[in-house]
Amino acid sequence: MGLVQREIEASGISTITLSPIADFTASVNPPRVAAIEYPLGQNFGRPGDSQGQMAVLRTTLKALEEMDQPGSVRHLPFEWPEKGSKGARASHPPEPPPITKYLMSHPWLYPKLIAGDIPE
Amino acid sequence: MNEQASTNGKTVNSFKFVPGLTRRVVRAWIKREQPRPIPWTPLSKPLAECTLALISTAGLVLKEERPFDQEGERQNPWWGDPSYRLLPHTTREKDIRLCHLHVNPVYAEEDLNCIFPLQRLSELLDEGSLGRLAPTHYSFMGYILRPQVLLEESVPAMIRHLQAEEVDVVLLVPV
Repeated sequence: MGLVQREIEASGISTITLSPIADFTASVNPPRVAAIEYPLGQNFGRPGDSQGQMAVLRTTLKALEEMDQPGSVRHLPFEWPEKGSKGARASHPPEPPPITKYLMSHPWLYPKLIAGDIPE
Repeated sequence: MNEQASTNGKTVNSFKFVPGLTRRVVRAWIKREQPRPIPWTPLSKPLAECTLALISTAGLVLKEERPFDQEGERQNPWWGDPSYRLLPHTTREKDIRLCHLHVNPVYAEEDLNCIFPLQRLSELLDEGSLGRLAPTHYSFMGYILRPQVLLEESVPAMIRHLQAEEVDVVLLVPV
């Protein structure tokens, strides 16, 4: 997402990413990142928790307004109410993604994925 | 990078909820990145006067539109559909599907605001803390290992649309 964000910012639009893997997003040097420690797929909060979602949204937009330096990463104060392992399991798709299944039967190609050496 | 602590001093652990395989891959990718110049467009006016658009990587698509190509990814797991979709500001969970084989869709399908908070944003509009919600919002599918087509075709097209609707602020939401 950081690469897309960079292009939009460079076109003259102010941008911020609300990232659940902020270190990854920030690794390509986007202008503004709000780091949230919530499971993937629930960036703003749980279904039905409109108050909690609003709090995350307000805090993210406030960070956007306050940031005055390129490459700012603001850590958001919110705590997810479940343990890491439970939250991680909850974010799993219904079945493993194709690349996961493929690498189980072709484990020698795993280093290519790690190295970013992606086959055509 | 300019790290800013949260108001309560919390430091976010980026990997707390990330499954093991993804964690190892992402950590390796982060290590490879070299610093690059950072683009910067300062916010030119208060948010109460700005037009905002959302961009999601969740592969959101209106039910009546062509879904993202999941069969193509099943055929070639190194490939991901680099196209994008437009979503009107009135979009609700009943209108969309989530086409992303790496994401659990149940949360957004129950309440779209978990990742695409159009209703929360319209509440900000009503109270006057946001100027305008753009008529159009955007989604692409975030599993793209080779981003050339996304960056050279889809993103410029999205930018032209954003500019045509005079958007000042974009909030991006990767899942």
